[in-house]
Amino acid sequence: MPVREGVVTIVQESRFQLVGDDGSAHLFILGRNAAGEADQLAPLQRRQARVRVEYARTRNLIGFVAEKISVCGESGR
Amino acid sequence: MTMHPRAADFPQSDLPGVIPHESELTAGVRIEPGRSYGFFTDTTVCIGCKACEVACKEWNNLPADNLGLTGHSYDNTGALSANTWRHVAFVETSGCGGVRDTVEAPFQSGWLMMSDVCKHCHNAPCLEACPTGALFKTEFDTVVVQQDICNGCGYCVPACPFGVVDVSPVDGKAHKCTLCYDRLKGGLEPACAKACPTDSIQFGELSVLQARAEERVAVLHERGVPGAYLYGTPGAPGATGDLGHLNAFFLLTARPEVYNLPAAPTRPANRVAPSLASGLAAVAGLAVAAAFLLGASDRRRS
Repeated sequence: MPVREGVVTIVQESRFQLVGDDGSAHLFILGRNAAGEADQLAPLQRRQARVRVEYARTRNLIGFVAEKISVCGESGR
Repeated sequence: MTMHPRAADFPQSDLPGVIPHESELTAGVRIEPGRSYGFFTDTTVCIGCKACEVACKEWNNLPADNLGLTGHSYDNTGALSANTWRHVAFVETSGCGGVRDTVEAPFQSGWLMMSDVCKHCHNAPCLEACPTGALFKTEFDTVVVQQDICNGCGYCVPACPFGVVDVSPVDGKAHKCTLCYDRLKGGLEPACAKACPTDSIQFGELSVLQARAEERVAVLHERGVPGAYLYGTPGAPGATGDLGHLNAFFLLTARPEVYNLPAAPTRPANRVAPSLASGLAAVAGLAVAAAFLLGASDRRRS
């Protein structure tokens, strides 16, 4: 599963924007099987936490499905 | 619209923060809880620029969907969906009773453009169908899905007479326009209305918008557009079947079906009692028929 690291800069419902070290921004949608809820995303954005997102590609959508989010340096999801 | 006197207080381009009650400056209305807000979409001034679609996607962080060409004029989003909460319809027509009639210069088509959106119905069928209470009426009289409560059952999808609500296969939850609930709470005008360059989408207090729309219809009638009418105001087409009225209503110049709107939308809850009664009547009828047939066979045996 592809992985991307970065900082969560925007959160809207279950959608979030991740900005990587190269400055590129990508849109992710929290997948239905991800072990997390949408309301757990906003604290990540407020903390400007560095996160590691394991994701899958989607059909007919310019965005990725986040399957697993872990805060870098922590084991939590 | 004249400039609001408070606008002179903010002449600089680089602002230190959000302007308090910014909607007063951009839409001429102060947003206060307990009042009823909505959209008035005047399709006669829509130029199909899709700024509303883009603003909606930008603010709500919605992904582009329905990739590729639809083949329907300049329409690229196709329809409202879980990821498209504003949809600009391009209807190529000829002769709509005045506006963009068949008298254009050669090679000019007659386009009807309309920025479609959730209607935020007064008696919202999606809200009535929701078994978890995820859909609720906000303090601004708008209808919003609470994502943490939605269980993705999808009952709201067929309940909506306008085909607005959609369940995303990606996150398994229902999504639709929130009328920028987060912006309203911050005193900001919804993103689509703010971005609209021609004021085709107007945001404001519902009673004010309805009065403004009536005036606009009268002006259009005077200017030789007799086909202009409102869709979704009390007593008008679109506000039928016990829906009450639509908080997002439209000024149209052709039949509603031309814009892919239902001519007489209804509240599915109205059909519950007749359905239940007909079901019970059918069961009772079958029971009587069975009793008669069984009785007849008993009589034959004896």
